[in-house]
Amino acid sequence: MSMTIGFIGNPNCGKTTLFNAYTGANLKVANWPGVTVERTEGTITRNGEEIRLVDLPGTYSLTSYTMEEQVARNFIMSEEADVIIDVVDASVLERNLYLTLQLLELGKPVVVALNMMDIVKKRGAEIDMHRLPEMLGCPVIPISARKRTGLSILMHAAEHHKDAQVHDPLIHEHAYDSGHRHDHHAEFAMVYSDEIEDKIDVIMDALSEKYPDIENPRWHAIKLLEQDGEVCRNYPVDLPDVLDRSYESDIINQKYDFIQEIIDEVLVKSEKAEALTEKIDGLLTSRIWGVPCFLAIMAVVFILTFAFGDWIKGFMEVGIDSLSSGLSEGLEALGASPVIISLIVDGIVAGVGGILTFLPNIFILFLALALLEDSGYMSRVAYVMEGIMSRLGVSGRAFIPMILGFGCTVPAIMASRTLENVRDRQKIMLVTPFMSCSARLPIYILFSGMFFPDSPALIAFCLYVGGLLTAIIVLAVFHAVDKRRDPGRLLIELPDYKLPGARTVGIYVWEKVKDYLTKAGTTIFIASIILWALMSFGSGGYTSDMTESFAAVIGKALVPFFAPVGLGIWQIAVALIAGISAKEVVVSSCAVLFGIGNINSADGMSEMAGILASLGFGQLNALCLMVFCLLYIPCAATLATIRKEAGSTKWMFIAAGFQLAVAWAVTFIVYRIGLLIV
Amino acid sequence: MKLSQCVPGKTYRVKNIDLPEALAKRLEVLGMIENTPISVYNRKGRGILIVYVRGTRLALGVNITENITVEGGDN
Repeated sequence: MSMTIGFIGNPNCGKTTLFNAYTGANLKVANWPGVTVERTEGTITRNGEEIRLVDLPGTYSLTSYTMEEQVARNFIMSEEADVIIDVVDASVLERNLYLTLQLLELGKPVVVALNMMDIVKKRGAEIDMHRLPEMLGCPVIPISARKRTGLSILMHAAEHHKDAQVHDPLIHEHAYDSGHRHDHHAEFAMVYSDEIEDKIDVIMDALSEKYPDIENPRWHAIKLLEQDGEVCRNYPVDLPDVLDRSYESDIINQKYDFIQEIIDEVLVKSEKAEALTEKIDGLLTSRIWGVPCFLAIMAVVFILTFAFGDWIKGFMEVGIDSLSSGLSEGLEALGASPVIISLIVDGIVAGVGGILTFLPNIFILFLALALLEDSGYMSRVAYVMEGIMSRLGVSGRAFIPMILGFGCTVPAIMASRTLENVRDRQKIMLVTPFMSCSARLPIYILFSGMFFPDSPALIAFCLYVGGLLTAIIVLAVFHAVDKRRDPGRLLIELPDYKLPGARTVGIYVWEKVKDYLTKAGTTIFIASIILWALMSFGSGGYTSDMTESFAAVIGKALVPFFAPVGLGIWQIAVALIAGISAKEVVVSSCAVLFGIGNINSADGMSEMAGILASLGFGQLNALCLMVFCLLYIPCAATLATIRKEAGSTKWMFIAAGFQLAVAWAVTFIVYRIGLLIV
Repeated sequence: MKLSQCVPGKTYRVKNIDLPEALAKRLEVLGMIENTPISVYNRKGRGILIVYVRGTRLALGVNITENITVEGGDN
């Protein structure tokens, strides 16, 4: 016989970490509220019995106000759930108990997993583990999800609590003496004022009469008093005198009053506990030092990503080069046809391999970001940047996806889902691609190296700043024209600082690396094959002469579009189209299109500069190309991510069209001004 | 007075919250309702605050804090 256990808890209570500790499933763990939006399951076997574990969305309450809350609530009420494990962050017991009280009202067997007891102890506080279960009427098991202690006893308690018809003894010693005709204090943890309890009694009678099959009429009565949308729709009762207004605030207030009673009785706070968090925050969120500290931290992250990452990347490039030549020789020895060799070596290995070389940068960037997130710093960034971002009409939180965009646009777009305001989310999805991602760097290195040999780093830096400025200007314009004027409002929980957990960080980084590898294996794999086919086939079939290929036909057709922005050369047009598969492809396609062997070497660069110069492509054109690459349609993986996150193909096309329009307009301006100066 | 005018190191009591329903609900379930004690930890700009409410540390933007009225101001 199998059983099903639902895991529920507030965002950031360690629920996902606990779930992972049992199932070993590689789930994302983050300090952002609302990560677990989809339903996640795992199965474990205990004493020969199969137990199904369901990870429910992190939520603060069980109203039907958000999708997450409805999902969690409906699952708990369903036949499917046998026991609910309520993960409670002991370090913020007050706020977490609010959800616990609501769960207990639902009537399913609940076991409380009291997490982060180590943090409570470190602060010198103590929780009365005898009194707490007495007051709640359910088992309370102290655990540490991070240190993986108490896991076995928690599962044991859940198994044995499954069939609990009668809950554990409820012993309340209320200061006041309730004169209510029913003394509910032995039955329910949460007992309301006499006024509310009277109403509950009347509504319960009406409900039981009208809906004889109703389960837990008390809970439904409470929800009717709160004017809960879903319950009011499904179980309407005609009691205008009793249900004369919403009693939601009264009910919340009384729950918090009871929580205060619990806290007073079970929590012994330490006087001397001057929390480390306050000290760190004194510096990191200080009015004066907040922004400089943030900039310094970001500088360290980028130095690590580029300097250290590029060092490892060098080895990857050597490896892929030797793989490429080895494959080529091996396939020739096997007598494979030139078409097949070309497909594998020029198409797949060149395309996919080119992307894989960026893996070290990606790995280091995400390791750094995971450390910042798990330590609790990331949410402070939202506070630090709020002053600037709120002037642009979005909340400080929106800055986090933009920062991630310097690394890779794909996870940056994904991070925008933590923004609660839909308008904020859409705006950020539109501007994040303007943040110059690491894949655009090879383009700057090549073209500034060729045309601005005296100051390549300055040009690259200007492009980074240019991307950021474009994003800010676009946000400002959106803010100015946005008629709806529903500004993003900053509301974010600042968790205690903690040492990042190796396992949590490991899982996070592995998820990102896996995503990146999957992208290389699917999107880029297919894009590489298509590009190769376009460049290798023409109207006359397979051809090694690029000028006769379909790519040339397409490129020549696009010249009129690119000419006004100084890019009217068909090879450049093809390279830019190819660059939509991945931005670094612009460089590799230029190499192929102009027939240059090693484009990154000094000889290769001067050879290509010569060819371009003969086509009338000079410094100004190179600058236009870099600006256009910075701003135009994001790569295929980004487009796919926008489609997934926005849940609409139309929105993806809007984003791509918008990006293209901005790129064309800005490059046009740069070109025209440049022509006047030159 | 408005929450946005409050100073760090002092504790106030929430009197009224005038915000869009979704946001008011979020604050409500965090326990921020009438008479809830709210301590200000940190402040910058025109009233961007880090506050402490019912065991939770929250960062709030000006467009939230200027719509919450409070009273008191004890140390």
